[in-house]
Amino acid sequence: MSTTASTPPAGAAAQVIRPRGPGAFRRFSRHRLAALSLVLILSLTLACIIVPPLLPFSDTEIDIMQRFASPFTGPHLLGTDPLGRDTLARLLMAGRISLSVGFSAMAISMVIGIAVGLYAGFYGGRIGAILMRFVDAMLCFPSIFLLLAISAFLQPSVGSIIMLIAATSWMEVARLVEAQIRALRARDFAVAARAIGASDRRVMFRELLPNAVAPIVVAATLNVAHAILAESYISFLGYGIQPPTPSWGNMLENAQSYLTSAPWLAIIPGAAITLAVTGFNFIGDGLRDALDPRQEAR
Amino acid sequence: MSDHSKDRLLAAPALRRRALLALGAGAGLAAAPARAQQAAPPAQGTRKGQVVVGLSQEPTVFNPLMPGIEVDETIWMNVFDTLWYPMPDGSLVPSLATEVPSTTNGGISADGLRWRVKLREGVTWHDGTAFTAEDVKYTLELIVAPGFKSRTRLGHALVRDIEVVGPHEIAWRMESAFAPYMAFLSNTYVVPKHLLAAAADPNTAPFNGAPVGTGPFRWDRRVPGDHIQLAANEKYFGKGPFLERAILKYVPDMTALYAQFRTGQVDAIIGTGIPANFVPEAEKLPGRRITRTSSGSLEVLMPNLGQPALADKAVRQALYAGINKKGIIDVIFYGLHKPTESFAPQESWVYNADLPAHRFDLAAANAILDKAGWARGANGMRAKDGVPLAFDISTTTGNALREQSQQLLLQDWSKMGVAAKVNNMPAAVIWGEFYVRSKFQTLLVGTGFRSGIDPDPSNRFASNAIPVKGGSGGNYMQWENAEADRIMVEAQATFDTARRKALYLRLQEIVREELPILPVYQYVTAEGTKSNLMGYAPNINARQNTWNMREWYWA
Amino acid sequence: MSGYVVRRLGQSLVLLLMVSMIGFAILHLAPGGPLSQFAAGGDMTQEDLDRIAVQLGLDRPLPLQYVEWLWRMLQGDWGRSYRDQQPVLHIIGSHIGATLELMLTSTLVAMMIGAWVGILGAIRRYSIFDSLATIGAMVALSIPTFWFGLVVIYVFSVGLEWLPAGNRYTIGDESLLDRLHHLIGPCMVLALVSTAVWSRYMRSSMLDVINQDYIRTARSKGLPERRILLNHAVRNALLPMITITGLHLPALLSGALVTETVFTWPGMGRLFLDSISYRDYPVVMGILVFTSVMVLAGSLIADLLYSIADPRMGAPG
Repeated sequence: MSTTASTPPAGAAAQVIRPRGPGAFRRFSRHRLAALSLVLILSLTLACIIVPPLLPFSDTEIDIMQRFASPFTGPHLLGTDPLGRDTLARLLMAGRISLSVGFSAMAISMVIGIAVGLYAGFYGGRIGAILMRFVDAMLCFPSIFLLLAISAFLQPSVGSIIMLIAATSWMEVARLVEAQIRALRARDFAVAARAIGASDRRVMFRELLPNAVAPIVVAATLNVAHAILAESYISFLGYGIQPPTPSWGNMLENAQSYLTSAPWLAIIPGAAITLAVTGFNFIGDGLRDALDPRQEAR
Repeated sequence: MSDHSKDRLLAAPALRRRALLALGAGAGLAAAPARAQQAAPPAQGTRKGQVVVGLSQEPTVFNPLMPGIEVDETIWMNVFDTLWYPMPDGSLVPSLATEVPSTTNGGISADGLRWRVKLREGVTWHDGTAFTAEDVKYTLELIVAPGFKSRTRLGHALVRDIEVVGPHEIAWRMESAFAPYMAFLSNTYVVPKHLLAAAADPNTAPFNGAPVGTGPFRWDRRVPGDHIQLAANEKYFGKGPFLERAILKYVPDMTALYAQFRTGQVDAIIGTGIPANFVPEAEKLPGRRITRTSSGSLEVLMPNLGQPALADKAVRQALYAGINKKGIIDVIFYGLHKPTESFAPQESWVYNADLPAHRFDLAAANAILDKAGWARGANGMRAKDGVPLAFDISTTTGNALREQSQQLLLQDWSKMGVAAKVNNMPAAVIWGEFYVRSKFQTLLVGTGFRSGIDPDPSNRFASNAIPVKGGSGGNYMQWENAEADRIMVEAQATFDTARRKALYLRLQEIVREELPILPVYQYVTAEGTKSNLMGYAPNINARQNTWNMREWYWA
Repeated sequence: MSGYVVRRLGQSLVLLLMVSMIGFAILHLAPGGPLSQFAAGGDMTQEDLDRIAVQLGLDRPLPLQYVEWLWRMLQGDWGRSYRDQQPVLHIIGSHIGATLELMLTSTLVAMMIGAWVGILGAIRRYSIFDSLATIGAMVALSIPTFWFGLVVIYVFSVGLEWLPAGNRYTIGDESLLDRLHHLIGPCMVLALVSTAVWSRYMRSSMLDVINQDYIRTARSKGLPERRILLNHAVRNALLPMITITGLHLPALLSGALVTETVFTWPGMGRLFLDSISYRDYPVVMGILVFTSVMVLAGSLIADLLYSIADPRMGAPG
């Protein structure tokens, strides 16, 4: 799986990036693809929130006589699934689930990653070293092993899927933050803050973290993309969100056996995943350029 | 004339009828043997071509006494032989034995305690060593040997004082009369003493990776994760084999397996079969023949009676009335499976056809629940004495059609004020503690309720078979019923088939009334072969329909 | 240098120990176990199941089981599979060929296409080609691999009937041509992500090099642009890619696992999934250790090669 999507270019992680500056928004909006993606993601999110109640069909209403309707042929705009449920309603409801899984998993993985990275980067020492070696060890596992093995512990539900994805995607954030903090710690402003007697906590959260915010924001965006992909992999491997709740991943999983007879059932959710993930990846890319003037300069 | 029909002539007619009655499933005499006669079968000793049989699971256990799953039997039944084996009509045919022992022919004493079996002469193992009674003795002893990881000791643990009467005759004593042992022996493959006894540890003997048997095919090679190749045993004592090679190809996904069958990469799909949603299409494929074969397994909704709501018989009856069997079978499974009321397969000689018929009736279901005091709350969901009528329904993940059935059930039950929720898990999790320690609430499960091919279901229904209450067995529903217990104990100890049948007919009535399992359908598997592959004959009493692969040939 | 190697080796061994501990704990603590498959069949009694659990040693305390496993491992005994009783190393050996075949060919394809796209994109920065390549790479990174695999099968196998729908070869044929024919589909799927990764990294690496002083010097000396790019820029830009190959290994393994599943490819990925779903602990642990060694060795060798190839770097920390 493309965990690589969230890996910044070689060496970028170790470089200290000074944040923002007044031109950041201007630079981001000049990144046309990123801006476009932002519009796309926003409209996708809005559609998932607003449209389902307006549709004539619900996502869980079974109508066995209407099964396997093709898209664009009848009252069901995107056709129906093997139980005669409306594909468009399911796609949008699934979008709600998949996007919230993406955002929530990102949020949790960022919290864990930042906490670990901050601690290890600031204090270092034995505990810091152990933490970072633990991160290294976790990164050694093929991510699918972690997903498979840890998911066996959980009752599959939206909440547990979020935890599962978060538990397998915080390590790179921790590594990134640790490197940033370790480098920033030695810089003048941090040394100065400590010299005037600021507490550790104050130095960490007021001085260091804000200065590391740029790569964190980029990583967060990419983590949303990663989480949406991961949700589909978990479903593919049979640990996904339980029916009848739809998610893009389990729609795709259930469509596999109908690939020849009803290919749209697989193509539609697959395209939705690809679209959303591409969107987040472009936004991440745009943010990186916007928040890191150095890249533009070269 | 085939070799085993010759053997059947040798056996007394009374024995044949007895064997038919005593064991397995009769009635459904498949049309397939007749079909096999379309082209003249090749002469004994001629061999031509190879067959590629597609399997959706990988056979990995080659020692037939060690713990394996059904797909492993595909190998066992072709490399090894049993003393006797069941035909599609339920009769037993001697294989390594020369006749099937019975109380009539004196092979089994009247009290069922002393057994004596004559063995076939002139049989050799694939390495050329002669097969003798010592091998049978070794096999029976190995199964109960302390350090050996044998599959099951059920029945075998009762065997005492095994005695080699002559090079081709063996006798033993049973600790207690146990009628199903006849069926167990029809599935107990004989292993070579000279190879396994010589190994330091039979658990890790080289034999386990390259088995040597007496069967129609011998081990050739294995490409792990891909296929196993068997070669014809030229010295096989029975009919055939007529193929030079048999290749058992592992294709891990049923849809992919069907795709390879359609493109002709595999010649036959055996075992898990063609997924129901492809069957109508498969039946129209040119050059392919699809056979709908009955299986002894049932799809049941298994309630855990340890759950307060499910312990109420009225709830189980209401849930049963709320199962849209026709919708599930006809729409989701394209009419493949057979609705059923009994735990016994419909082909079984003990099957009770007079059980009350199920009717999908939500109004009746609601009435049952109202009457039993399960009142609807503010949200429309029912509860009684503070116990909500709510439970999880679990099954293995990754089975799209089953998940569809679940959702249909959920929708109908919600109209009855029943709050059911899907909680599916991968096989390794669901069939672990969750299942055997009765931690589930309800399960949608495909399983059998007999002992091998014997109709005895006491392993599943007896009150001393509840593991979570210290018992040994598979009564994971935690069902306890005194009358049922009495019936099963009596039926196990008698060899009188008429009496056994009467007892099991009554047992089916009790189970239908009490509903410790909610039967949905009896499995029908759609197996496919290329049209010019002859000799394939489904056998509900065999673990896999490669049971007679020795008789397959290309037209 | 040798001190650095020793230190790195030591770190790797500690990591390996941690990986095995974490893996062992997760695996054994997870619900379900190797006996589930037999319980599902319904014809083994609880007595049988309990007896086999004892015979497999599954009833003993977990730390003890781990120590025993580790002790045997240190003596070179990787244990035996619960499923087919074969030694674990033997099983890995019989599956590794198929996976290497797939990983090497797809990496080769990804390197060639990815490097070419990346170099061209860097030289003609902001051209239409560069933009399309950027978009393409981003989309490639965003497609669920298994979905792409299904689409490939649907289009090329079911629809056009150009490619086989799976397997490594036709049984009984097994010629080179037949094998290549079977390799195209899975290779295409697995190479997709790697190609995207390669092209992105190659592009940024190339941009770094182009702006370096010695390239400017070469230009100012009036050397032909083509020679500058090929002799100096590309060679130096390829250097960091050694590291990428090493770092990309875990992702490649995961990708191979999914691809093998979709294309019924009899490799390590298939073995891994089957072993996990049967809870065949010795095999899963064996594969974990094996892949971890590969991943660790990959990054170690990459670092070493890099520091040899580019002495300016010194020994990286």
